[in-house]
Amino acid sequence: KITIHFINQDGERTTTTATEGESLLDVVVNKNLDFSGFGACEGTLACSTCHLIFDENVFNKLEPLVDEELDMLDLAYGLTDTSRLGCQVFVQKGMDGMTVQVPQKVNDIRKAAELSWKQ
Amino acid sequence: MSLFKHAQFASRHPGIRLWWKSKELDFVTGPVCTSLFNTVRASSSLPDKKKELLDGGPDLQDFISGDLSDKNRWEEYKGNLKRQKGERLRLPPWLKTAIPIGKNYNKLKNTLRNLNLHTVCEEARCPNIGECWGGGEYATATATIMLMGDTCTRGCRFCSVKTARKPPPLDPNEPHNTAKAITEWGLDYVVLTSVDRDDISDGGAEHIAKTVTYLKEMSQKILVECLTPDFRGDLNAVERIALSGLDVYAHNVETVRELQRHVRDPRANFDQSLSVLKHAKKVKPSLLSKTSIMLGLGETDAQVYATMKEVREAAVDCLTLGQYMQPTKRHLKVDEYVSPEKFQHWENVGKELGFLYTASGPLVRSSYKAGEFFLKNLIEKRKLETQ
Repeated sequence: KITIHFINQDGERTTTTATEGESLLDVVVNKNLDFSGFGACEGTLACSTCHLIFDENVFNKLEPLVDEELDMLDLAYGLTDTSRLGCQVFVQKGMDGMTVQVPQKVNDIRKAAELSWKQ
Repeated sequence: MSLFKHAQFASRHPGIRLWWKSKELDFVTGPVCTSLFNTVRASSSLPDKKKELLDGGPDLQDFISGDLSDKNRWEEYKGNLKRQKGERLRLPPWLKTAIPIGKNYNKLKNTLRNLNLHTVCEEARCPNIGECWGGGEYATATATIMLMGDTCTRGCRFCSVKTARKPPPLDPNEPHNTAKAITEWGLDYVVLTSVDRDDISDGGAEHIAKTVTYLKEMSQKILVECLTPDFRGDLNAVERIALSGLDVYAHNVETVRELQRHVRDPRANFDQSLSVLKHAKKVKPSLLSKTSIMLGLGETDAQVYATMKEVREAAVDCLTLGQYMQPTKRHLKVDEYVSPEKFQHWENVGKELGFLYTASGPLVRSSYKAGEFFLKNLIEKRKLETQ
């Protein structure tokens, strides 16, 4: 059992365990983690909704991308240098304790105004 | 309960001795009796709030009659309508629909399977399926046929239609077979929609256009509406369909400009969709154009108004507004359940802005009652012309 930390679009952190060989998309869906609209194409490399950002040291150890993944990843919102699609990354022993996150939600003017009223 | 059953059984088989019945009675007077008393004692020790809920809440009669709550109106609804962080909203009562059953519904389902046709009604899990297929009050069954298969090449975060990188190839007989099937049904108004096929060079425009042409050849009086993809902005494809003989050209912008990136596949965007609608009108001005937006994804009123205005300025004639409902857990959560009164407000705004018709309601979808609205407007227009 491998422990993985997830940070969702609202900045909330959840820790869960996964089995070796599962894709990260499977982990998010099976464990009902609070990610809105994650994995819309069900892992067929036809969308970029399972986009995840990794720590650099973990990112470098991942299997190389195929062209199809790169095509979809290019369209992803909030792309970084350590981004991958969750449906193409499979859980391995070396990932124990890693943290993955999705791009943080863009705070629109409403939210900022709300926060300033509360303060 | 079981005592009653035994009594029935005994009365039907008078020869059988009721020895086990007396055993049961013993049983009742024994431990069960004391536990009954125990439960009575237990309920009297419930906190007052719970007792109030139990007394004031539904009883068995409510469940049997099927009319559980008359709290259908927005003011009486006590649940949450705007999503707070981390929660998932519950479905408000005005969005609950009956489970689809009935002769018409089953007949349609079987016909579709035999003809190897797909409907978006099933693929996208439309809540109106029972009503439209069942035929409603005028017994006119409406279905929206999905061309080019049931698998799309894009994954939008609101849509549950299957997605694949390389869907199965097109069936070259589909245009002819579909046209034939629809003509056999004798439908007055049919909506043809399709999945996105970015893997095909023209996006499937030729395929759709052929279906429309065959339909118009085979049936003199049928009215055809096409809900098309954006063909990645390929205006030649749009033109091919616009000139194929259809009556209504529909293409959905889906949401306000600000949420396009968040809600739709990144290959789709607002300006591209608007260009499709503008071009269709330009190429054939007598065409009616139509678009649709979903509410409840986190948009503000100002954004909705601005979107409606922009769409009207693109000479779009018809607008429909509906409530977004999360189809599966892989899709966006509902941000807000917009009240029926608010939908009415948007309908009034649509009228003010000059749309030919604005269909607005929580369960309204792009092709919901499309035929009725269109025909009603057409008839009224003709009445005015002959006067």
